[in-house]
Amino acid sequence: MTRLEATRVIVNTCREAAIVASLGHPAYDLFAAGDRPRNFYTWGSMGLASSIGLGVALAQPDVHVVVLDGDGSLLMNLGSLATIGLLQPSNLTVVVMDNELYATTGGQATPTASGADLAAAARAMRIEHAVTIRTEDELIARLKPRAPMFIVAKVSESKPTAKPSLDYVGIKDRFMRALGNPEC
Amino acid sequence: MTIPAKAPSAQPPGWAAGVCAGTFAAGIRDVVYVPDNPLSFVLAEFERQYRAVRLILATREEEAFGIAAGLYLGGRRPAVMLQSSGLGNSINALTTLVVPYQIPMLIVVSMRGDEGEWNPVQAPMGRAVRPILDAIGISHVTIDAAAAAEQVQLSAAAAFASRMPTACLVPRLVTTS
Repeated sequence: MTRLEATRVIVNTCREAAIVASLGHPAYDLFAAGDRPRNFYTWGSMGLASSIGLGVALAQPDVHVVVLDGDGSLLMNLGSLATIGLLQPSNLTVVVMDNELYATTGGQATPTASGADLAAAARAMRIEHAVTIRTEDELIARLKPRAPMFIVAKVSESKPTAKPSLDYVGIKDRFMRALGNPEC
Repeated sequence: MTIPAKAPSAQPPGWAAGVCAGTFAAGIRDVVYVPDNPLSFVLAEFERQYRAVRLILATREEEAFGIAAGLYLGGRRPAVMLQSSGLGNSINALTTLVVPYQIPMLIVVSMRGDEGEWNPVQAPMGRAVRPILDAIGISHVTIDAAAAAEQVQLSAAAAFASRMPTACLVPRLVTTS
């Protein structure tokens, strides 16, 4: 399963979800898999996708929030797992696209290539539903919001084919309107 | 999802009561924080007088700004409260998310390294707080104990009107008086 294939599965399965993508390849693939108003593309703030998603989930408890993170990105903000484990937002699903690479920066190996286990880290931080999966069927089976869910999707790198706009304020405005929140 | 803070039993100092009153009056109901000694008075006052305010603990300041950004995207008016040393942990979140996406929030900074500081390790960042905020385009005010409520409310109102974050710096001479 490539990262783009996994991203397509998520977009096609979680049609109503708000999706927050980490910068670089996860955001590029989300755009390529299906640009939609409920997508929030980050262009910086490496590591913070799960924190942004947590904030949206706390603000909108009736909206399923899906985070598309990277293994290298999540490793910059592992404390986020403790915060999610503390708050237990039942509408938050974090998917780590684990290609075991810093793919956006040239393909350097991350610690997950040597066995660092992010799902085990999530369980240790009280995110009970934390799994590592390798197939589309396994991914689909875990995308229903019922408890904080942490999915490490082992994916192969796929060369991105498109990028979202650099209109940061436009990305924000469209996302907020799609959630029914004019700026407040 | 409210995280209990350690509550000092005495009445809050005036500046802390003012920070809470100004925050609440600006319509803020979500405060993301990384703890700090002076801020413990603010957190305790929220717990005592403002039960509608949700206090959200973050493990690190950069994470706090990410959570606050998400809260705003979800339709809430957030504040981040932190110690000035933690502003150094937050620069990337501010410069590549909060500022360019124009995500407003109130930032309350408990100052270290300014007048009255006992630990010199805090001094370099203490000196750098205002130049850093100026350089990245975040306006700031320095809180006066007697005017804290009004200053905080006006600062937050300016943030949400202009869709940019604003910072309220609380000096040690205020928090330790």
